[in-house]
Amino acid sequence: MILRYFLLAALLLIQAAMLSGCATKPVTMTDPERDPWEAYNRKIHSFNMAFDDAIFKPVAKGYDTIMPDAPQRGVRNFFRNLSYPVTFLNLILQGKFEDSLTATGRFLMNSTVGVFGFFDIATRVEIPEYNEDFGQTLAVWGWKDSRYLVMPVFGPYTARDFLGRSFYGYFHPVSYVAREYNNYIPLVVDLISLRAELLPFQAELDAASDPYVLVRDVYLQRREYDIHDGDPPQLDYDSLLEEY
Amino acid sequence: MKKFLLLAMLMLIAAGPLAANVTDNRDPLTIIEETTNHIFDMLADRREEFTAEPALLRDVVRTDLLPLLDVTYSARLILGRSGRGVTPEQLDAFANAMSNVLVNRYSDGLLEFRSDEQIQILPMKGKNSDKLTRVRTRLKLENGGYAPVDYAFRKTDLGWKAFDVTVEGISYIITFRNQIAPRVEADGIDKVTEEILAGNIQINE
Repeated sequence: MILRYFLLAALLLIQAAMLSGCATKPVTMTDPERDPWEAYNRKIHSFNMAFDDAIFKPVAKGYDTIMPDAPQRGVRNFFRNLSYPVTFLNLILQGKFEDSLTATGRFLMNSTVGVFGFFDIATRVEIPEYNEDFGQTLAVWGWKDSRYLVMPVFGPYTARDFLGRSFYGYFHPVSYVAREYNNYIPLVVDLISLRAELLPFQAELDAASDPYVLVRDVYLQRREYDIHDGDPPQLDYDSLLEEY
Repeated sequence: MKKFLLLAMLMLIAAGPLAANVTDNRDPLTIIEETTNHIFDMLADRREEFTAEPALLRDVVRTDLLPLLDVTYSARLILGRSGRGVTPEQLDAFANAMSNVLVNRYSDGLLEFRSDEQIQILPMKGKNSDKLTRVRTRLKLENGGYAPVDYAFRKTDLGWKAFDVTVEGISYIITFRNQIAPRVEADGIDKVTEEILAGNIQINE
């Protein structure tokens, strides 16, 4: 409950910041096609970075300091294994029936032999891993391109993927436990361990010439890669030269 | 006798730049395969030496890799519109600065690998033409998973040359282009080249 109020307060705060910030100079758009909301997105990005610096990153660093690497990996494996219902449903929705069986086998193996998913045994025995969600399903169904959208606290999305994310909450066990039992502990641990996993990339982000653009480019390329199950179409390099 | 020596020297000098411009008739898959094997054999033989002196490995790797890359093409892709009015000399300087940083990073990363068994070359797939092609490989990670690494090749007058690397779907060209091109627009290419050489601009991959 507390988390929900906190999010609401944060959203209101940002709305206020948006309204008061309307008079600031226009930002030159770096990717008008995929990121027409850049001016808005940049403001939210700055807020998120400050939020991350103040709360998220220090907590993740503390977690990273007290937890040895092996149990940290175990915790990530546990949460990845728990996303199985979402993966399974989306494999079905995308018509990948055979893969949905493999995903089920993977889930059963990791949940039993892998002790509730803490050990990713399935990967060790070369069972493929699937990464599917509702945003990807919407893309497969035809919503190929979607505008980049930075959400307060939640971070980078596209409009399509944020919509997908709201479905996800109904099917993901961690979100389910939070909603139905008001138990936010699994959700918080999931987020902290996820953030800790990203710590090694901090130096690169800090050194970037334009961190906003770096996050956007990495996110959008990564989504493209996930939508195409790791085999995205060849980039059109010539189009990069035409502008020359 | 002296005349003969002079002639031999002249021929050597003439052959120097020619040797660097020999056409490579191998296909991209073979290039990746042979280069990987060669570099890992060398690493296995001289690991202690290289661990003690990473700069030495950088030199060796640079000599091996640079002839396989089309650094000018990569540079032009990265510059895009911001490269208007850039002289060939400026483009070369920029391309060399970038490829040096990239090759150094690659070389420093090599020491973390135990063997070439951690690199698997996958069969060709997708849209490949006689001008542009993609070689797919994957790195075996510590946790048993894999990280895909793809190399984009283009056919040049001197054979197939690599110009982009994509790690888990993140392209070096695309990512670096959006970081660097606005700076070139703002500060000019000479300043940016200087900063890359000074290590003030990171090339991330």
